[in-house]
Amino acid sequence: MAFRKIDIDALEEDALRQEELDFQEIGEPRPQHEVEAEVNSRAQEVRSLLQRGDLAGALSTSLQNPPYGRHLEAAKARNTQTVMEVLISIKVADMAQFVKNLSFEEQDVMMKYLYACMANPEQSNSGQILAWHEKLSEVAGPGCIVRVITDRRTV
Amino acid sequence: MSAQAPIINEFNLGPISCHSFNQDRTELAVCFNTNVVSIFRKAGAAWNLVSSLAEHDKPVTSVDWAPKSNRIVTCSQDRNAYVWTLDSATQQWKPTLVLLRINRAATFVRWSPEEDKFAVASGSRCISVCYFEEDNDWWVGKHIKKPIRSTVLSLDWHPNNVLLAAGCADMKARVFSAFIKGVDKKPAPSPWGEKLPFNTVCGEFTNGTGGWIHSVAFSPNGDALAFTGHDSTITIVSPATGSVQSVRAPYLPYLSVLWLNENQIVAAGHDCAPHLFEIKGQQWSFSASLDAAVKKADVGFTARDTFRRMDSRGQSTASNDTEVNTHHQNTINSIRVFSGTRDHVEQFSSSGIDGKLIIWSTDNIAKGLSNLHL
Repeated sequence: MAFRKIDIDALEEDALRQEELDFQEIGEPRPQHEVEAEVNSRAQEVRSLLQRGDLAGALSTSLQNPPYGRHLEAAKARNTQTVMEVLISIKVADMAQFVKNLSFEEQDVMMKYLYACMANPEQSNSGQILAWHEKLSEVAGPGCIVRVITDRRTV
Repeated sequence: MSAQAPIINEFNLGPISCHSFNQDRTELAVCFNTNVVSIFRKAGAAWNLVSSLAEHDKPVTSVDWAPKSNRIVTCSQDRNAYVWTLDSATQQWKPTLVLLRINRAATFVRWSPEEDKFAVASGSRCISVCYFEEDNDWWVGKHIKKPIRSTVLSLDWHPNNVLLAAGCADMKARVFSAFIKGVDKKPAPSPWGEKLPFNTVCGEFTNGTGGWIHSVAFSPNGDALAFTGHDSTITIVSPATGSVQSVRAPYLPYLSVLWLNENQIVAAGHDCAPHLFEIKGQQWSFSASLDAAVKKADVGFTARDTFRRMDSRGQSTASNDTEVNTHHQNTINSIRVFSGTRDHVEQFSSSGIDGKLIIWSTDNIAKGLSNLHL
């Protein structure tokens, strides 16, 4: 079965490549410093909302305009941290209510971050993340999970 | 209710990869994921095998039966398409090879409404629009190439016989002109454009969250286009108003989409049930599942009870019940019109990996659901 390892796309001049798909789905890559500044200011905004006890505002703000693109690993990690801080400050009993108030777009973004948090269990509270996942999939269904898997705009 | 219950045809011959009926719905061409297309004739409630179309040497991917001219076109992973005509003397189907000029599998084929052309989608990033050349007594294909970047997965013809929609694995749905000089008359202007030479791109759309476009369908009057993607969305675009609406469904992705009328769309796929989408005001939304199969009572045992039962009965698994709560027991990969007209579908057929072909009636949908939701 050695032939299965041959990269046939390399022999094809006009193959559809990763970069092209990324460009199609994400658009022109944004400068790294600009995205990082945005992520940091959002982190501060979310933190001040949390301190004022505005949990719904903090959750919604943290899920806006996530950084997408292969060159933004640092900004992505920072933003995941921000989302996670909000997620772990909401009690399990209140989760269902918060999930219901999210828009479809926010639900999909939240599901992305739940999986991102699960990928780094040592940095998050897995029990709480799993509880969120349960509540969110009750509302948004398998469709939301499929969208996270399909979407090339990863967090 | 009994008249409207779905009619289930079970073949038990393997997964159905594609199906198509003849004009009066007395004969059926179906492929059980092999290189052979089987022709069945209706006898009462049963379907009897009358002939087999065996000319392809790789699995057949799509079949379409032209209602008026009674010709069948098949395409396959072997990169070929055949047009089959019935020899009236011998009652045998005779194949004619079509010159597709593609170097990857053919994935999908559909006759144009006038039946003077058909389009074959393929993995070689092109669509072959085929027409009959009298001089050479031969079906030849003309390629739509640009700007397709990946495998074309599905096609649908506009009622004007010229425009062709294509759903593609590069995550885009496109509308092309498939105008063939000498075959087509100049089409009337439509929201898709006025001047339409071959390969004009009349529209290019995405669903917002990515994913392969599994299925495309023009609305009955052709002014709108619906497509479904692997991100479990269904998107409806109407170029006249410039509106693009993506409905995010909370279910598994849809592989096939069909307009019942201007206001209702049915989509089916990995969720094993046809789902209805309706427009209310200006807004499309998910309406209901059309499969009213009875949900099995949820046995509310605790894990401890389950293990105890397994222990006492010597069962190796918690339950031997592997049935799904729907008529289809696996993914539906194709839904097609069975009866009615383009702008008022009365019945549609669905086939899937479970080897069943089910005919659904829409009268109770139109009446029952609109009462329910308005």
